[in-house]
Amino acid sequence: MNIFWEILVYGAVQSSVYALLATGFSLIFGVAGVVNLSHTALYMIGAYLIYTLFSMLQFPLTLAVFFSVVIVAAIALFIQHFIIRPLIDSHYSVMIITTSLALFFQQVIITFYGPADRNVKGFYEEKVALFGVVDIDGQRLLTLGVAAVVIILLWFFINKTKFGKAILAVSQNREAALFMGIEVKRIYLLVMGISAALAAIAGAFIVPTLGARPHMWETVLPRVFAVVVLGGLGSMEGTLLAALIIGYIEVLVSFSISSYFGEIIALIIILLILSFRPSGLMGKRAEV
Amino acid sequence: MEENKMQAGFRWEKCLSYGIVGAVLLLLPLFVKNPSFIDLVILANIYAVYAASWDLLSGYSGQINFGHSLFIGGGAYTAGFLNFYLQVPPVITIFLGGLVAALLGLIIGIPCLRIRGPYLALATFAASAVPLGLASVYWEYTGGDDGLYGIAPLTLNITGKYYLSLFLLFVCGGILLAIGRSKKGLILKSIREDELGAMASGINTTRFKLITFIVSGFFAGIAGAFYTHNQLHVGTETLSLHLSILVVIMSVVGGMGTITGPIAGAFLLTIFNEMLRGIEEVRLLIYTLSVVFILLFMPKGVLPTLTQGLPRLFR
Amino acid sequence: MEQIMEVQGLTKNFGGLSALRNVSFTLEKGETLGIIGPNGAGKTTLFNLLTGFLKPTQGTINFRGENIAGWKPYAIVNKGIARTFQIVRPFLQLTAQENVIISCLCARAMEKRRGADRPEAKARKLLKNVGLSGKEFILAKDLPHGDTKRLEMARALAAEPELLLLDEPFAGLGHHETSALFPLIEQLSREGHSIIIIEHKLRELMKLVGRVITLHFGEKIADGTPDELSRNQKVIEAYLGKGGRTFATV
Repeated sequence: MNIFWEILVYGAVQSSVYALLATGFSLIFGVAGVVNLSHTALYMIGAYLIYTLFSMLQFPLTLAVFFSVVIVAAIALFIQHFIIRPLIDSHYSVMIITTSLALFFQQVIITFYGPADRNVKGFYEEKVALFGVVDIDGQRLLTLGVAAVVIILLWFFINKTKFGKAILAVSQNREAALFMGIEVKRIYLLVMGISAALAAIAGAFIVPTLGARPHMWETVLPRVFAVVVLGGLGSMEGTLLAALIIGYIEVLVSFSISSYFGEIIALIIILLILSFRPSGLMGKRAEV
Repeated sequence: MEENKMQAGFRWEKCLSYGIVGAVLLLLPLFVKNPSFIDLVILANIYAVYAASWDLLSGYSGQINFGHSLFIGGGAYTAGFLNFYLQVPPVITIFLGGLVAALLGLIIGIPCLRIRGPYLALATFAASAVPLGLASVYWEYTGGDDGLYGIAPLTLNITGKYYLSLFLLFVCGGILLAIGRSKKGLILKSIREDELGAMASGINTTRFKLITFIVSGFFAGIAGAFYTHNQLHVGTETLSLHLSILVVIMSVVGGMGTITGPIAGAFLLTIFNEMLRGIEEVRLLIYTLSVVFILLFMPKGVLPTLTQGLPRLFR
Repeated sequence: MEQIMEVQGLTKNFGGLSALRNVSFTLEKGETLGIIGPNGAGKTTLFNLLTGFLKPTQGTINFRGENIAGWKPYAIVNKGIARTFQIVRPFLQLTAQENVIISCLCARAMEKRRGADRPEAKARKLLKNVGLSGKEFILAKDLPHGDTKRLEMARALAAEPELLLLDEPFAGLGHHETSALFPLIEQLSREGHSIIIIEHKLRELMKLVGRVITLHFGEKIADGTPDELSRNQKVIEAYLGKGGRTFATV
């Protein structure tokens, strides 16, 4: 019975991390039409920043998270303005250069932190008795809680505020939005900033569980792709649904067969979706 | 008509430069005795075929492939398995490696027909990541991350290895270049520019796109299999995302859609990588940063920027 | 006269929207047929159906004895129908000559090669015929708009078509360029090509065609000579609303 609860929570945690990452990725594509492959590298940088600020420099947790998010967002804005914008005409150029950038970041990390894993103490060490039935470590629950709060806040932001509606407008029809007086360039920057913040938060809270590793941007990339493709690029609801599906499938497969298979499942899902229904569950049309 | 003359003069200059490069490569072992340098050029030759085969698919027909390691690794592991488990001799394994990779090209080409742009990149990437995962899952057969050792060499003599790799480059690169220069290559370019327009011109674009996948896969597989017999080892680095990205970078840096550009890019980056070996700590750092810079400031690639820029200087 | 095409009950629905409804007409060999109608009437949809870019919901397109409805575009080209596009779409990074060569390489053109005409030579000849001599090596993206329209035509002709579909050949051209392009189309007509032209510039169109079909909201509302059409109340209303004046000047 314990296994059931563990799967339930682990699946939810997995899903929430994927949801944070995939939503950001999907936002950038939906709004700016750009496939930013350095996105998961931002997640990695967020993780290492927490390690540096919280574990190494003993910053208080909230401050560490705050700085981590701000720095990562700043990096993302830099990338958007100086690296992506000049090449915005050619989507594959953007893909190529952001991949190179991700490799560059990986190298920076290896240079400064070495190739081995770095461990971060959990933020909440205790095990929590969940529903009085099973003990789940507090870190995982904290991750889940934070992710849920952030996602709900994001949902409200997108659907209920002026900025959020502007983002939706640009994602649906860029030219019309321009005509309506929406400053599209600013919206791009806003979206990049939000996505980066999401990635940084994901990295920050998962690092005590997974550890900070220079390859973490690579290993999580296929899963994020799978979520984004399944949910449909540009659709927040689709992404959330897909994150749940993929997160749980992965945890189930890991528990029952092997963790390697979990990754393969994600990839096979990508291939199947792209072959038969490229727009995913709820996304923009993919065929020209 | 001035354009015509420029074209003709250009062609003469190009042939001369190919001739010079070819001669240098052929005569290299006579002048350079350092075995690690020879090894480096062997590697560059192999990577050049990786890049050239990628270019036909992605540069010419516009189907940007982010998972070229599927073909390279497919060929590499085919050769590795055949030789390791069944003692099949190297030349046959290489040929079969190419065939398996060609088949993979067909298998992945079919679903890729209907998708474009970022979706195609994702699909090709995912396709190459599946065998990578499988290699880990079935580690008892594949040797896992370490791979299989003790693969038979093509020849023990290093000069022999060098000339064989040169033969690989000249033949594979030559064929790919011939295809690119031919009317078929022109049709591929038209498909890249506007697939519907090509269809409206009476071209069966589906057939062309699939065949390009197959041909690209074939040559990548051959080179991958050759690599296995050169290293006497097959491992997961031949299926890695790193390799796929490296091939893309080499081709983009060299200049996509030319075959010669990617070959030059492969040489450039392999040698550049080696040059940085002195400053080991920051080597990869400088390497990746340089790539970003080149992509930003020479988006057409190094070779086209130079070949278009130089004649301008002489006017 | 020999009938080369018969369209029967052609219908195309997009979800709930009916873009084309039960359209039927015939075409004789050597005939130049005009298609007119207000924007959104279904003219380009008709062309897309005739050339395989759309599959009909219902109806048949009989061309030279076969029902080509639903065929792939390249198959239709190789059967003998070529088209130009309303918004020109040359291969921008290829030269003018290369643009034409592509069409020369389709199965039909390769079959019908006269003598040992190499594609380059044929392309050069066609470019000359449409008035683009000397511009062979210019990249399509560097050609002025009027020239790209001529290039479109050269490409269509390179496929050795029996039937030419011209989608608004004069669109976007100024008065001078229109007058310059006109003789080219007139010549094709005189040479005996079968042509269907969609056009809004009625003055030019009426001088080129022997018969005109009018589409309105996806339906065929008239089919006759330019003269007959100018007196057709339904056509006048469709274009100009009730109380419009005649427009045909032949």
